[in-house]
Amino acid sequence: MPYFGSEDVVKELKKALCNPHIQADRLRYRNVIQRVIRHMTQGLDMSGVFMEMVKASATVDIVQKKLVYLYMCTYAPLKPDLALLAINTLCKDCSDPNPMVRGLALRSMCSLRLPGVQEYIQQPILSGLRDKASYVRRVAVLGCAKMHNLHGDSEVDGALVHELYSLLRDQDPIVVVNCLRSLEEILKHEGGVVINKPIAHHLLNRFGCLIPNEEELFDILNLLDSFLKSSSPGVVIGATKLFLILAKKFPHVQTDVLVRVKGPLLAACSSESRELCFVALCHVRQILHSLPGHFSSHYKKFFCSYWEPHYIKLQKVEVLCELVNDENVQQVLEELRGYCTDVSVDFAQASIFAIGNIARTYTDQCVQILTELLGLRQEHITTVVVQTFRDLVWLCPQCTEAVCQALPGCEENIQDNEGRQALIWILGNHEEGIPNAPYVLEDFAENAKSETFPAVKMELLTALLRLFLSRPAECQDMLGRLLYYCIEEEKDMAVRDRGLFYYRLLLLGIDDVKRILCSPKSDPSLGLLEDQPERPVNSWASDFNTLVPVYGKAHWATIFKHQGTDHCGPELPHTNFSYARQLISEENKERVQELPDSEALMLIPNCQFTAEYFEKTWLSLEVAHQQILPWQGEVHPDTLQMALQVVNIQTIAMSRVGAQPWKAYLSAQDATGCLFLTELLLEPGNSKMQISVKQSETRTEILSRFISVLETVIGTIGDMKS
Amino acid sequence: MIHSLFLINCSGDIFLEKHWKSVVSQSVCDYFFEAQEKAADVENVPPVISTPHHYLISIYRDKLFFVSVIQTEVPPLFVIEFLHRVADTFQDYFGECSEAAIKDNVVIVYELLEEMLDNGFPLATESNILKELIKPPTILRSVVNSITGSSNVGDTLPTGQLSNIPWRRAGVKYTNNEAYFDVVEEIDAIIDKSGSTVFAEIQGVIDACIKLSGMPDLSLSFMNPRLLDDVSFHPCIRFKRWESERVLSFIPPDGNFRLISYRVSSQNLVAIPVYVKHSISFKENSSCGRFDITIGPKQNMGKTIEGITVTVHMPKVVLNMNLTPTQGSYTFDPVTKILTWDVGKITPQKLPSLKGLVNLQSGAPKPEENPSLNIQFKIQQLAISGLKVNRLDMYGEKYKPFKGVKYVTKAGKFQVRT
Repeated sequence: MPYFGSEDVVKELKKALCNPHIQADRLRYRNVIQRVIRHMTQGLDMSGVFMEMVKASATVDIVQKKLVYLYMCTYAPLKPDLALLAINTLCKDCSDPNPMVRGLALRSMCSLRLPGVQEYIQQPILSGLRDKASYVRRVAVLGCAKMHNLHGDSEVDGALVHELYSLLRDQDPIVVVNCLRSLEEILKHEGGVVINKPIAHHLLNRFGCLIPNEEELFDILNLLDSFLKSSSPGVVIGATKLFLILAKKFPHVQTDVLVRVKGPLLAACSSESRELCFVALCHVRQILHSLPGHFSSHYKKFFCSYWEPHYIKLQKVEVLCELVNDENVQQVLEELRGYCTDVSVDFAQASIFAIGNIARTYTDQCVQILTELLGLRQEHITTVVVQTFRDLVWLCPQCTEAVCQALPGCEENIQDNEGRQALIWILGNHEEGIPNAPYVLEDFAENAKSETFPAVKMELLTALLRLFLSRPAECQDMLGRLLYYCIEEEKDMAVRDRGLFYYRLLLLGIDDVKRILCSPKSDPSLGLLEDQPERPVNSWASDFNTLVPVYGKAHWATIFKHQGTDHCGPELPHTNFSYARQLISEENKERVQELPDSEALMLIPNCQFTAEYFEKTWLSLEVAHQQILPWQGEVHPDTLQMALQVVNIQTIAMSRVGAQPWKAYLSAQDATGCLFLTELLLEPGNSKMQISVKQSETRTEILSRFISVLETVIGTIGDMKS
Repeated sequence: MIHSLFLINCSGDIFLEKHWKSVVSQSVCDYFFEAQEKAADVENVPPVISTPHHYLISIYRDKLFFVSVIQTEVPPLFVIEFLHRVADTFQDYFGECSEAAIKDNVVIVYELLEEMLDNGFPLATESNILKELIKPPTILRSVVNSITGSSNVGDTLPTGQLSNIPWRRAGVKYTNNEAYFDVVEEIDAIIDKSGSTVFAEIQGVIDACIKLSGMPDLSLSFMNPRLLDDVSFHPCIRFKRWESERVLSFIPPDGNFRLISYRVSSQNLVAIPVYVKHSISFKENSSCGRFDITIGPKQNMGKTIEGITVTVHMPKVVLNMNLTPTQGSYTFDPVTKILTWDVGKITPQKLPSLKGLVNLQSGAPKPEENPSLNIQFKIQQLAISGLKVNRLDMYGEKYKPFKGVKYVTKAGKFQVRT
């Protein structure tokens, strides 16, 4: 591509464009313009001929017009003053008798992205909205959104919005759809387009026939039923989402909908377009989270064939893992066993991990398969098998014996970091089943010097110390040498500190070491590594048919943050948000998160007050409840604020760190509109936090619920500090 | 919704870009190239890639990547379908969707993209309507245009946009009124070592080519509609009618379109028309192996199986293959390790076979797994599911149309494990 020497090209084209002979010959003129466009699309800077191109826009040739407009939209932001010259022509075209020209001109004008162009485009847009050709109305409707973007999203033009709402009754379906999209974009900071009952009915009617009995959910569902059979998977999934949301309060209807959509979704999973397959598979996984048995009888649909791209194979393996049940486990495992020797290392490893996952339920069969895989003596297979074994002996202790029998000999086939770590861990923790454990570890200890991964060395230290406790005679010498090496020669601080720590621990005497290192292992059933419980459909219904099932929620949150679209004022960034969630300890978390769901008290997120409004309301109300909670030391405002945010309590104001007395004002609103205003007060030297709550309506029951939420949060933060 | 679109060819050149909401720098594609590099094979590039500021949703069609840049939450299926529609439209307009075709017709490509999307939202995607807005290039027209200087752009607004049936324009006129239907079925199957079916399914479509004047109202009925258990319909089909009577009743779009697609998946119903006898073995500690496959007909309902091709992705340690086919010709690419055997059709008297020796890299361990065979074939005049069209009736117009139905069965993802 000619990225260089573009100056010559520009010069030449400029000359050609100015040449009156060429200008007179329509065809040659258009050819020159085409060349400009072609260069432009290849990344060449063609802004030098802007003036000449603007002149070329005054023509009757519609192709030439299109090309010039395309050019102008690209370079207008670079040449704002020259671009204003073009606006005159564009305005004139907006009243051309040919609707295509009108639409084209309007569309181009709205895409110019010039500062100050708004005043010129407002009038044409307004007349475009009332144009008799639907083609122009379609363009004008989207133009409204573009104009709003040009305004910097700041103010919402009420008249325009009103106009758009009335266009929802347009007879052209695309005008209606685009109207909705524009409104959604213009009003995004106010929560998007508002659909009231007449509008909803009108829109529903546009789908086909009339609803006989209003307000009936099932009528709406019947009306939209045929969309579940559409040939476009996008429409099917879109309709499914609508159904799931409409039937929010009727779980059995939701299940029915998911049953209905099973066929189309499976069809999409084997669609010709791999990309569609992929996204459909992601949605299948989403459904499986709530209805684990939903696709079990169709497990064969998720068998991978050789020529599929990897991303599809990986998704299918995940799906297989989730739909396994007593009937199909044999076939699924056989199939997965076949994938484990696939030429693609990634796919083979993913399949082994999948078998490992299934092993949590069907331990014996899976351990047998995994053991057979070790026999292949392939490096990439062995390492993953050992890693799955490590997780298994932890989650399903009953398989320890089988695993220990399988392990000997496999150390020769493990080279990578994670694999060795896993092996060392098993050797250290389950030495009773592996007679030669000390000798295997000895090899590792001897090579500690050339070992490059600190994590492996740390694991080795721990394992060897454990082994030393049960088999001191074989290990004492080795442990001594390893400790010496780690303390005296090791360069990695973490490893060195770990070595020192163990050394000092040993100095305390063997009984203490035993007490600390061999204290009861935590019970896996406590939850950390346990499978997630079935999630209710409602927890993901609103994310259905978005990118969330493909990439997860957290990621979008970060993208939005970058864009600054999160326009909700003092709301905290999402990343900190999840941090705050972690801060709330496991057992309290359940309590805290359950509460907002309970019917009696539902605090709404993002209720925003101004400080003035808060102050006014605060002064006008009486204290409804006062209570003292234990508290120690300083307050970390950020932590507290985040934790409160999690339960939808907003912080209005807060003293600086260390201020005495320390105060904070909080506000929250529940779904019924009842306000809770709270003052936190920490007197100097006092180890108590006083909370005073004011309520806009006197309702003692929800007040006590609110207070218990507050107590939980403050209690948790307090606990954590002490 | 869709911010920008980049078209990228196989060697990684961005040869076309189009921006709708704001100009996004080409450098955003670096994330795509990174993913492409990681995927090693072009086929394996994930369709959704997240970058710090955007999502890239891409499709891979005809050796081209269509990469769209997304900045707000979107239904991913919608974007993917739209991109496929763009590719379909190019195919429709230029006869092929290749880099050369797109570059040759860059002006039309831009016109199309401009009409198909505005501010990131779809405007016109029905090919019927697009063709009225922008006329597809033909040799004759380009000659005429170059003489008269006229353009490919329609001078009047498409009437279809104002008609009550968005997929059909008003005032269509033909001298020969024709309605043709192609019933195309593809068998997706995985056959295991011993020849038993692991998984099999029929994916069927009925494609229509309708050239009828006026506003015809068609109804198509089947001999055995119950066969179709999972059907998706073109929006023109009256769903209620299908539900109650199992008849496809519709006012068709003008030209080519896909009427329905369906699946037949109950295992016992799917007939597998070919079998493969195979023996592929690699000896331990030896630099050669044996390769022997034979193909024969099975459950083919008395029809000839033709257009058979066998593709095998041999293990990496295979250096070369020395084979003799009894029929057709074979090629082995030592770089990609792909063996292709172009068989032709099966004559039951003498079954085609391919046998010979495989040269392995000496000293390398013998492959863990035997390769899978990928088989393509075609059977004319047969819908393997047994689906048969009963009759086609036309209402609303007076003339008598020509009608025709063609059946064909093809192999889809048909894989035999060895």
